[in-house]
Amino acid sequence: MRFFRLAAQISALAGIFRLGSLIAERLHLPVPGNVLGMLVLFALLYCGVIKETWIADGAGLLTRHLSLFFIPIVVGLMDWTGLLIVSGPQLLIVLVGSSLAGLFVTGRVVQLLARKTARVAPARRQAEAKS
Amino acid sequence: MRAAEGFLWMLAVTVGAYVLGRWLQRKTGSALVNPVFIGSGIVIAALLLSRQGIQDYSACRQAVTAFLGPATVALAVPLYRNRQALATRFAEAVVGVATGSLATIVAVVVFGHWLSIGPVLELSLSLKSVTAPIALEIARILGGNPPLTAILVVTTGITGAIVGPGFLSLVRVHDPVARGLAVGTTSHAIGTAAMLQEGETQGAMAGVAFSLNAVLMGLLAPLLIPWLLSLVAQP
Repeated sequence: MRFFRLAAQISALAGIFRLGSLIAERLHLPVPGNVLGMLVLFALLYCGVIKETWIADGAGLLTRHLSLFFIPIVVGLMDWTGLLIVSGPQLLIVLVGSSLAGLFVTGRVVQLLARKTARVAPARRQAEAKS
Repeated sequence: MRAAEGFLWMLAVTVGAYVLGRWLQRKTGSALVNPVFIGSGIVIAALLLSRQGIQDYSACRQAVTAFLGPATVALAVPLYRNRQALATRFAEAVVGVATGSLATIVAVVVFGHWLSIGPVLELSLSLKSVTAPIALEIARILGGNPPLTAILVVTTGITGAIVGPGFLSLVRVHDPVARGLAVGTTSHAIGTAAMLQEGETQGAMAGVAFSLNAVLMGLLAPLLIPWLLSLVAQP
């Protein structure tokens, strides 16, 4: 029973993904179909067309194991070992340097804005937000 | 018959390697022990050992990656759960995520140009703070290198999760909202998991930043990144 419920929920998510891809394709938008699908699902949840409980289990299963789905893509690196050996150190420098830049800018900008507005808004009830 | 058998074998190896990676991560509790690193390492080793496997793997790759699309759509659910955290800090979140994301890309282009790593690597690197499934799609649209993009995304996630909290304290970012947004923007889901351990607010804001960055970059990157790259490409 649980298996069929999960299968149905994942099929529904796949349907929304198809819809998003179709919109991007038909309207010639330079936007990934999966992003559009995500926005469509968010809108449907927000407007109450879809109840969270209808898809929560299937969605939770997929997002929890998201990294499984791109292991086969990373395996494609097999064909690029030469590139990794040659450019690895440079890649790592750029990667770490730009990450620190991003952390610094977001952190400082938000802190500046928060001080200006000085709002008190403790965001509660999110312990379960990302399980 | 043989092909189907090989397909099932490779599928079992892929899922098994992932499960082992997850188990090891839980056992060690370290962000460095990442299921993607361990999983893909084991699969590569298995493919190298069995000459037969390499031909069979494309079917397995198609079957497993077919779940990426629906899984990305499913990311709307955590964003929906965080909608209150998003609503109360909407302006900070949008401005913080957008500026941080832009700073990351500009830094990639500047550092990359300085080390002359070339446009394909710059493109793949500039997507490294976007959650993997969306980064992969953008890479495909812009002609980046998907496997390289995926590994860079994961490495960035791990880097941010490990050095992020310490670095933010070093540059005196102590506001929990700012810390959550910063790590979520640069290090997506892996950073979010780390921030959930630091605190409830940090975790929720990291989740908000990670989804928001995915949407912003999904909508803007296909236009923004080629433009930035063309700026430095001029002599």
